[in-house]
Amino acid sequence: MKLTDNVLEIRDLVKDFPSVRAVNNVSFDIKRNTIHCLVGENGAGKSTLIKLLTGAMARSSGKILLNGEEYSPHSPRDAKQKGISTLFQELNVVDQLTVEENLTLGMEDTTLGFLRKTDKINRIVSVMNSLEPSIHPRQRVSTLSVAKKQIVEIAKAVATESDIIIMDEPTAAISESEIARLFTIVKGLREKNVTVIYISHRLDEIFELGDYVTVMRDGRHIDTKPVSVIKERSELIRLMIGKTVFEQYTPKEGACKDAILQVRNLTNHKLNDISFDVHEGEIVGFYGLVGAGKTELARAIYGADEYEGEIVFKGRKLHASPDKVIGAGIALVPEERRSQGLFTVLTIRGNVPVMNMKKISRNGFINAAQERRATIEYIDKLRIATNSTEKEASKLSGGNQQKVVLSKCLFADADLLMLDEPTRGIDVGAKSEIYGIIRRLSAEGRSIMIFSSELPEVMNICDTIYLLFDGSVKDMIRNGCDIDMEKIIHVVTGGNVTSGDGGA
Amino acid sequence: MSVEKKQVRQALGRRLSNESFNTLFMIGVLLALFGIACAAVPNFYLPQNMLNLITNNWFIIIIGIGVTFLLITGNFDLSVGGVIALAGVLSVYFCQGANVSQNALANGLGLPYGVAVALALLCAMGIGAINAFFIARLKVPSIIITLGTMMLARGIAQVVTRGAQRNTSLPDVFGVLGNLSIRGTSIKISVLIMIFLVIVAFIFEKMTVSGRRTYLIGANPVAARLSGIKVGRHLTSLYLISALLAGITGILMASEFKAGVSNRAMGYEFDALVVSLLGGVSIAGGFGSVLGMFVGAVILSVMTTSATGLLLSPDWQFTLKGIVTFVAILAQRFALDRRKG
Repeated sequence: MKLTDNVLEIRDLVKDFPSVRAVNNVSFDIKRNTIHCLVGENGAGKSTLIKLLTGAMARSSGKILLNGEEYSPHSPRDAKQKGISTLFQELNVVDQLTVEENLTLGMEDTTLGFLRKTDKINRIVSVMNSLEPSIHPRQRVSTLSVAKKQIVEIAKAVATESDIIIMDEPTAAISESEIARLFTIVKGLREKNVTVIYISHRLDEIFELGDYVTVMRDGRHIDTKPVSVIKERSELIRLMIGKTVFEQYTPKEGACKDAILQVRNLTNHKLNDISFDVHEGEIVGFYGLVGAGKTELARAIYGADEYEGEIVFKGRKLHASPDKVIGAGIALVPEERRSQGLFTVLTIRGNVPVMNMKKISRNGFINAAQERRATIEYIDKLRIATNSTEKEASKLSGGNQQKVVLSKCLFADADLLMLDEPTRGIDVGAKSEIYGIIRRLSAEGRSIMIFSSELPEVMNICDTIYLLFDGSVKDMIRNGCDIDMEKIIHVVTGGNVTSGDGGA
Repeated sequence: MSVEKKQVRQALGRRLSNESFNTLFMIGVLLALFGIACAAVPNFYLPQNMLNLITNNWFIIIIGIGVTFLLITGNFDLSVGGVIALAGVLSVYFCQGANVSQNALANGLGLPYGVAVALALLCAMGIGAINAFFIARLKVPSIIITLGTMMLARGIAQVVTRGAQRNTSLPDVFGVLGNLSIRGTSIKISVLIMIFLVIVAFIFEKMTVSGRRTYLIGANPVAARLSGIKVGRHLTSLYLISALLAGITGILMASEFKAGVSNRAMGYEFDALVVSLLGGVSIAGGFGSVLGMFVGAVILSVMTTSATGLLLSPDWQFTLKGIVTFVAILAQRFALDRRKG
C-alpha cells in the first residue's frame, strides 16, 4: 500500500445538533507520524470532532480520508479495526485481569474453547516490554497506577497496528513524574509508525510534546500550524479566544456588604489551601478547566466530602454534613443534575419541596394543598414547561429538569446558593432564563456561587471571579470592562500569575 | 387571574399518581380473578370463605409492610421469616417456668408474660439493628446481610429449641392473644392488628414527611443525601420497624399455637417479597404502595384458595404462585407503559 503524506484529511466536516452546529465546516490535515495537538475552550467542538473520528457519532456532512481512502466508521470498534484507537479519560482496562490478559482481550485464540498461547500474544507482550519494561505481563492491572494503565492501553493500540491513537486529556489524573514517563513514551510512538492526536487543556504540554497544533473555537477550525512557529502561549491563547462577544456585564452599585461565607485554608484530596469570602448579594464565580477542583470545592463546602480547614457561614462554623449545611441556609445545584439533583421517577410535585419539607408540613404531616400550591408557584416562577404538577421529572427536557432542581434549592430558602455548571447541556433560551433568575436572586440580597468551566458564563454574571487550577485558587479578579481574557486563560491553563490584583 | 390561567391551574393538579393507577389496576385484576373463582370454584362465594381470603394471610401482610417500605428504598429484608421464628421461640422460652422439669425444653426463665414479650421484641429488633448497622452504616448490599441474619435468627431459634419446639409449662395467659377473636365471628385479634397496622402504614406512606423520604431515598439515594435527607438514619428506622413487625407476628403466632417452633415461618420472607411485587413495588426503588401490597396478598390468597377448592393437589401450590407472580407483574409493566404520560 502506498502511504500518503497525510494520515488523515478532514474536509468540510459538519455535525449538527437540534439547536446548535457543534462542528462547522472543519477542514485540516494531520501529517503521518507526528504528534498533533487539538486545543480550544470548552464547547469549541473538540470532543464532538473526536466522536466523529471514533465513530461514536455520525457526521451530518463532509468527508474524512484515512490513508487517502474514504473513512466513515459506524462504531468505535469499527474505527479501531480501520486503524484509529482512542485513549479515553475513563480507561478501558479490566482491573481484575492481568496485564497480558488485558492486552489480548478480545483477540484470544482458542481451541475448543480453551485459550491457546500463540505468537500473537508474545508479539503484543514484547511491544509492551519495549514501551515500559517495568510492567510485568502477569501483574494484575488493579495494582498499576493510572499512568501505567494508560501505557497498557497504548501498547495494545500499537500492537494492533493502529495508525492513529487519540489521547483525550491523558494527564488529567496522573502525577508529575508519571507525566514525564508518559511523554517519553508518546514521543517514542513516532518511530513506531503511529500518529498521535493529543487533546489537553494544559498549554505547556502542547509546547513540550506537539509537532502541530490545531485550534478550534465555536465549532470552527481556526488554524493549524507547526508548534515550532508559535513563539508564546499568549499567541495560542489569542487564537483560542478570538473576539468573543459577551452579554454585557453591569457592575453592581453600592459598597461591599458583609461577608456571609468565609472559607479559610480549605484542603482535601483535591483542594489545596483555598481561602476566600463571599459577601451578601454577591455573585462569585469559580472558573477553571475540567479537573481544576470546582466540583470538589462545592462538595466540600456543602459537607458532601471531607476536608480540613474552616468554613464560617453567617458567623458560625459549618458542620460537614449536607443536612446541617442546608439547615444553616446553603443549597447546592449539583453538577450531574440527573444523577445527583433530580428524583427522576418522581413527579415535579415530588421534587420541588424536598429540601424544605418543614415548609409544607406540620408535625411531620404533609399538607397536600400547600405542597401543590408551592409546586405551582415554582412552575410559574421559573416557567417550567409542563401541563401538570404530576408529570414525572424524567419526562422533562434538560432545561426544565434543571429548573426543577433550581426550584428545589430555591424552596429551601437558602441565603447562599451554590450552582455547579448550572447551564451545562441546556439550550440557549433556557440558559438566559437561568441567568435572569440568578441576577434576580442576587438583587434580592442572596449570595450566589457559580462553579463553571465556561468563561462567557462566568464573565456574564459574576461580580468576582476566582481562577482555579489544580485544586488551588490562582488569582482573583473583579469583573468589569477592563478584564483581561488572555490573562485568565493563561492562569487556568497552568501559567504563572505575574501580577495579581489582590486576592489569592 | 384570567379564566384561562385558572383552567391551567386546575389541570395542573389533577392526575392520578402512577402508584394509585397501579393499585387500581391490581384491584381490577383481583375482581376479575375473584369473579372467575366464584363461577368456577364450588362454595367460593360464601361470605366465610371471602373473609378467610383476608384473615388467613394476616402474617404475610404484617411483615409485608416492612418489606414493602424497604423495597421502596431499594433494599431487601430477607430476615423477616427468621425473626418470626426467633421472636416466637424466645417469647416462649422467657415465659416458660424456671426449673419445673427434668426436660430441658420445658424449662424457661419464668418471666411474666408482658416482660417475656417485651424482651422477645427487643431481641427481634436486635436483628434489625444488625441489618441496619451493616447496610446503613457500612453500606454492604442488603441482600447479603439480610440473607445472613435470616439464617442467624433461625439458627438461634433452633439452638434454643434444640431444633424442635418448646410448648410445655406455659402459663394460660400465653395462649390468649393469638386465639382471642371478636365475639360471634372468626376474626382474630391478629387480623385486627394487621388491619390497624395497614391503616397506619397507609397514613405514613401517603401523608407524612417520613413516608415521603422513603420514596426519595429509593428514587435517588445520592440526590437524597445532597438534599439533606439523613439516609442512614432513615434506613435504620425502617429496618428496626421491619424487625419489630416480624417480632409482633412471631409473638402472635407463638401465642396462637402456644408453642415456639424453630422452623415456623419458613419461606415467609419470599411470600412477603412476592406480595409486595404483586402490589407493584419496583425492585429498583422509589415506587410502590402498602395498599398495593395488601391487594397483592389477597390476589395470591384467591389463587391458592381456588386451587385448593378445585381439588388441585397442594403440590401444585408453588408452581401456581410462580405463574401468578409472572403474569401479574408482566401485566402491570405492560399497563404502566401503556399509560399516557
